[in-house]
Amino acid sequence: MPITFDTLSIGDAIDGPRFAVSRESIRLFCDASLDYNPLHLDDAYMKGDFGKTNFGGVIMHGMNNFGLISRMLTDWAYPAGAIHRRLETRWLKPVRPGETIRPTGIVKSKQTTAKSRWVLIDVTVQNQDDEKVAIGEAMVEFPLAAKAG
Amino acid sequence: MTSEAGDAMTLPAAAKDFETDFWKDANLRKIWDEIVPGEPRKTLPYTLTQEAIALYCRAVGETNPLYLDEAAAKAGPFGGLIAPPSIHILLMFACTPADDWMRSPGTVNAGQSWTYNIPARPGDTITLTARALDKFIKRERLFVVHDNVFFNQHGEVICSGRGQTIRPM
Repeated sequence: MPITFDTLSIGDAIDGPRFAVSRESIRLFCDASLDYNPLHLDDAYMKGDFGKTNFGGVIMHGMNNFGLISRMLTDWAYPAGAIHRRLETRWLKPVRPGETIRPTGIVKSKQTTAKSRWVLIDVTVQNQDDEKVAIGEAMVEFPLAAKAG
Repeated sequence: MTSEAGDAMTLPAAAKDFETDFWKDANLRKIWDEIVPGEPRKTLPYTLTQEAIALYCRAVGETNPLYLDEAAAKAGPFGGLIAPPSIHILLMFACTPADDWMRSPGTVNAGQSWTYNIPARPGDTITLTARALDKFIKRERLFVVHDNVFFNQHGEVICSGRGQTIRPM
C-alpha cells in the first residue's frame, strides 16, 4: 500500500538503510563531498586534543548521517508523490570506522496549511549498540495536487 | 599546477582543480576572532555534473533511479535527472574557495538545518550566497552560525540552510 497523507498516523515508523562505516567509506565521502578535513583522514592529527574534546582517531563526517537520513526520507516520500522539504540535525556522538549506523523516523504530527499538507518526522541515527549518534526533525510535504515538483 | 605525488591518480571528477590538502593555505583562513557575522563570504560558481552526482550517490548508498537512470528519470515526476536534496553537502565545498574558513582543519560540524525548494540537476551552474550570521562562545567552545543559499543558473533557489560549526582553537 502506498503511503497517503490521510492514512498516515502519528507514531508510524520509517525504516532507513543500515550503513557500514569504514575508512574506505569515509574516504569515499571525502571525495564525494570535497570535505577533506583531516578529522576524517589523519590519525596522527586526531590523537591530539580539540579544545576539550579528544576523538582518539579519525571520525566519520557528521554530514554522512545527514545524507543517510535524507536518503531514507526521499525513498519514503517519492513513491507517495511527496517531497522532502526540510531536515534539521544535531550530532550526539562521533562515529568511527567499524561502526554500523542506521537512521529511522517516527511520524510526529500532521499539519494542513492554506495550500498544502505537511508531515513532521522525528529522526534518529543509532549505531550497532543502539546508541543515538544523531537526532533531528524533518518535514515532508504531501502536495494537494498529486504532483511532485 | 603540480599536485602531491599519488593524489592526482585518485582524484575524482568532482575534485578536479580542488586542493585536497586542507593544511595548505590554512594560514590564509579567518579564525573565529576574525570572522565578521553578516559579511558575505567569497564564493565560486560550480557546474554540477552527473559524474559528481553519481559519486555522491555511491558515497551514501543512494540508488534511486531519479538520480542515476536517465530514461527512468525522464519518465518520472521531474522530467529528467535530478540530484538528491542533500547534494548541498558537496556544493558547500565546491562553491567556496581554498581560503574559506569552512576548510580550516579541525572545524567540527555541530548540526545543520536545510530547506529544499527545487532540485539541482546535472548541468546546473550553481551559485552560493553565504555568510556567518552569528558567533558565540559556549562551554569554552567557539561557535559560528552560517547561513547559505544555493541558486541555479535561472536565479531559482535550490535550497537554503543554516549550520553551526565549532571553530578550531
